[in-house]
Amino acid sequence: MQRAAYTTDSLVKRWLRHRLKCRAPLQVSMRPYSVFPPVDSEEKKMLDRMMRVDHAGEYGANRIYAGQMAVLGRSRSAPLIQEMWEQEKKHLKKFDEILAVNRIRPTALLPLWNVAGFLLGASTALLGKEGAMACTVAVEESISEHYNSQIRTLMEQDPDKYVELLKVIKEFRDDEMEHHDTGLEHEAESLPGYWLLKNAIQLGCKFAIYTSQRI
Amino acid sequence: SPSVQLDMAALLLRALRTGRTLRGLGSAVAAPATSTPRCSSLTQGFHSTALRLQDESKSDKSSSSSSSSTSYHEHYQAHPADQDTTAASHGASADDPSTADASRANTSYQDQSGEQSEEYETEEQLQARILTAALEFVPLHGWTVDAIAAGAETLELSSASTGMFNNGAGDLVLHFIAQCNSQLTEILAEQNNQVQLGQAEQKKTADFLRDAVETRLRMNIPYIDTWPQAMSILLLPYNIPDSLKHLSTMVDDIWYYAGDRSTDMNWYTKRAALTGIYNTTELVMLQDSSPDFQDTWNFLDNRIQDMANMATSAKQVQSTGEAVVQGFMGAAVTLKNLTGLNQRR
Repeated sequence: MQRAAYTTDSLVKRWLRHRLKCRAPLQVSMRPYSVFPPVDSEEKKMLDRMMRVDHAGEYGANRIYAGQMAVLGRSRSAPLIQEMWEQEKKHLKKFDEILAVNRIRPTALLPLWNVAGFLLGASTALLGKEGAMACTVAVEESISEHYNSQIRTLMEQDPDKYVELLKVIKEFRDDEMEHHDTGLEHEAESLPGYWLLKNAIQLGCKFAIYTSQRI
Repeated sequence: SPSVQLDMAALLLRALRTGRTLRGLGSAVAAPATSTPRCSSLTQGFHSTALRLQDESKSDKSSSSSSSSTSYHEHYQAHPADQDTTAASHGASADDPSTADASRANTSYQDQSGEQSEEYETEEQLQARILTAALEFVPLHGWTVDAIAAGAETLELSSASTGMFNNGAGDLVLHFIAQCNSQLTEILAEQNNQVQLGQAEQKKTADFLRDAVETRLRMNIPYIDTWPQAMSILLLPYNIPDSLKHLSTMVDDIWYYAGDRSTDMNWYTKRAALTGIYNTTELVMLQDSSPDFQDTWNFLDNRIQDMANMATSAKQVQSTGEAVVQGFMGAAVTLKNLTGLNQRR
């Protein structure tokens, strides 16, 4: 509620301005917004899809780290993985909040990502620390590419309007890039069959992104 | 209607030009003797201006200029926003018709470019108005095109305006549902506001859901005799997407105001459960002959209670499952320790 009060005034002004410019009947819902600017139904649909897939992505990433920790929880690289996991938890919490406040339907594939993420994390971790790191590199690279493409889309649309959302996505993108670099620093590439594993995982990520946007 | 506006603008310009030519010939600008009624909407004001101008260019030159200024005055009264220019031009118009002409042109152009979109009725709005009027005739004619025609006639429109509705009776039912749903959302939002302001107590989720469903179903009571017909119309293939959309939006609204903020599979199970309850209760209601549908509300109570029980047992199953998983993990660790696999790497 506090958040709603804080932006109400500027929201109303913006909405009115938008309304006057655009004659077509708009479906502007008077629901509280967090990082969302006031949008019409088309833009809302686009943002819903973006947030749905981002939420699914962070959820999957969490499950991957959970799988890695289930195997490597008592190894020397545990603190490193735990640290990255904590950041992912923060991301997921943020997207949970965005979905709840903006009343966005989560993807129906969450149970699938739950199992698939955990299995991916656990199975790569069974290959050893390098395997886990290779998995991290592959996944984080896909996710940051995905965030970059979202940033591009939003910038093309209206950078001023989506300034809050862009801030969130950019911050998360930077975190993911950091994890990617951490993975490389910890000898991810020394894993035999690294190239094959990485491409297989990234193909899976692309499939996950495609389906989570739609279902 | 934008093309109509453009036409009117063109007409206005042409009329103005003719008026000036006439003035150039040394004649007084004249207005029709009939006084136009004061128009409340910009639309009508604008139309009457254009019409009057058209008349001016045609009318004989016998009318006095004082009568023209009165009619201008009447016209300007219709535009309270332009009162400043009105006063000025009204003063001037008695002496110098050209000033009046110019300022009139200005105000008219403002009408053109300004906020007319707020005043014009869109096709959707007109359709909604007809359908709302038609609801009155549903008990008489059922959910039919006849009801729409009768509704249109009360708005002094031709019954042929039913041609606007591609989907006839389906449009009528869907309109009714949309109307009821938005009414329900308003009620729930209002309740929510009161809780936020501390004027009302937060209801338990089960009670909230029960009351919300009852409130919504009570809106069907005036039409209960014809409701089976409406339900069958909703089940026609081309109505299914819209009716599903209305249903899911309504259920989502109820859960939202019940305070649900889940972003996991609960989102789906909760909505599915409530949709099921709503639909079955709606069916029970059709058969109910008890006073004030008491049996229906009892049925609803029981179903909501079932859902609450199911949620509790689901939670128990989940915690049992977690305990079992922990047991397995413990067994796995023990096994690893026994086999010596658990050394720190």
